[in-house]
Amino acid sequence: MEPFPVSLAVEDQLSEAVLKKILRFAKDRYLVSTCYNRGGFGYLKKNIAGFNNAAKGIPFIILTDLDNSECPPVLIREWLPYPKHCNLLFRIAVREVEAWLLADWNGFARYLGIVKKDVHLDVESIKNPKHLLIELAQKSRKRRLREAIVPGPKSDAKQGPDYNGALITFVNEFWDIKAAMGKSLSLKKTVKAVTDFKPVYRN
Amino acid sequence: MIISSLILKNWRNFADISVEFGERVFFVGPNASGKSNLLDVFRFLRDIAKPGGGLQKAVEDRGGISKIRCLAARRYPDVEIEVQLAESSEEKPTWRYSIGIKQEARGHRRSILTYEKVWQNGNQILNRPDRDDNNDSARLTQTHLEQINANVNFRDISRFFESILYLHLVPQLLRYPEAFSGSAIPGDPFGRSFLERVARTPELTRKSRLKKIEAALRIAVPQLKQLTDVKDERGVPHLEAVYEHWRPRAGKQREDQFSDGTIRLIGLLWSLLEGESPLLLEEPELSLNAGIVSKIPALIYRIQRQKKRQIFISTHSYDLLSDKGVGGKEVVTLTPGVEGTSVMVASSIREVQDLLQGGVSVADAVLPRTTPPKVSQIELFK
Repeated sequence: MEPFPVSLAVEDQLSEAVLKKILRFAKDRYLVSTCYNRGGFGYLKKNIAGFNNAAKGIPFIILTDLDNSECPPVLIREWLPYPKHCNLLFRIAVREVEAWLLADWNGFARYLGIVKKDVHLDVESIKNPKHLLIELAQKSRKRRLREAIVPGPKSDAKQGPDYNGALITFVNEFWDIKAAMGKSLSLKKTVKAVTDFKPVYRN
Repeated sequence: MIISSLILKNWRNFADISVEFGERVFFVGPNASGKSNLLDVFRFLRDIAKPGGGLQKAVEDRGGISKIRCLAARRYPDVEIEVQLAESSEEKPTWRYSIGIKQEARGHRRSILTYEKVWQNGNQILNRPDRDDNNDSARLTQTHLEQINANVNFRDISRFFESILYLHLVPQLLRYPEAFSGSAIPGDPFGRSFLERVARTPELTRKSRLKKIEAALRIAVPQLKQLTDVKDERGVPHLEAVYEHWRPRAGKQREDQFSDGTIRLIGLLWSLLEGESPLLLEEPELSLNAGIVSKIPALIYRIQRQKKRQIFISTHSYDLLSDKGVGGKEVVTLTPGVEGTSVMVASSIREVQDLLQGGVSVADAVLPRTTPPKVSQIELFK
């Protein structure tokens, strides 16, 4: 089957890498036309009416973090109070896309070089996955990764100087989606939705 | 008068494009997509028309036909340019000017015209090669546009091209002119002799412009006051301003002490106030604070209300295009491909149109399209 064009809208570079990896996992059904990525959920929320409208011409997949919202249906109702176009796929990572990375626990522990028993099995119940991920990286035996992901001792930055670079490399080269799907329901549902997505084309 | 449309064949990045323009045009595209090369077509026409210019020089200054010709070109080796000129975007074009250029196959390998055509209100008034050209092929090394004897019926076009202004002010050139000696680039595109240009302006006009610029500058650089032009003991022109600080008697500064941003802002404002002809601005956002950059489109609009001049801007700036007053019809996107760069008015792209209709700003709708598709692989740079 010919791959079909799709546009993406995401919060940040890491989400973009994760979503693109999921698309490749879904048997390369898709050809990404444009990826809208200007940073943060505020940008997505502000423009979602536009993405919904543009979905009538080209299918759109949006990926955002649940963060502190109550649950995915509540967030969707809040962002999209009007009918969602059938070509718009709106997926939410519980609570953050970082949880999907942690969900492949074996792979992630090996990548960071940390002891596996630090595992937190129920990734969806982690309140702040990014925070946990940085804490874990602090224990990493690989200095290069530790320094990239964790903010320096005197820094007041929220993440290390090459947080995205280090994690995107993990996503692209090591992240085992199948294993991660077993630990994260929101990831499992997203992969299924992307695999089953049947956009309607009207010229 | 404005350039209302442009057709290019084999011009640098562009194998075959056709695009229409209004009074205000923003060119956006990834790096090396051809934004500057697109602006260069207007400078090329200016270089043909200006005194001391001409076709041979305009081509030579660009390194010959082989440098101009599109890399993606295969079968059609001729370079072709066609522009239409109209009084405004609401009116029908008055003029149409069209040339084809190729390189002589042997001998001096000069650039020669394959044709030169002019239409006025739809009637063709020039169609070369004509009988004279066929009798004397050397005639085809010059356009009629560059010859006062020959362009009498369409001198308006020649004057119009000649008046096109380009500015991509490089602060270091202005600050350290002696370090960049050597022959000047024709038309001074990078502002090395910007100060001389200011000094040559008649006094009343000059004072009034500097006053306006000072008022605008005061908002961006509040410490800077009393912008004037002075000449030093050797007669070299300078810009001077009072820079306020804690001492009661503030110190005077000259342009070599101004910041990059101040110099570029002065250059930008001056060029907006200068003349009535089309103005080509290359990345006016450089060195400027985001808050100031976001005001540039409105600034341009205000200038255009006073004088009907067309302004072309190449930009990468999100802030500049976030202005809600910028429409999708004013933005031209450049997309590189294996067959050369394609050029489209943003609002003619279905996806952009739908996004704009859904309330997304031009910046949010268009700029993500100009991100290189593999930009995430920069992570691999270790």
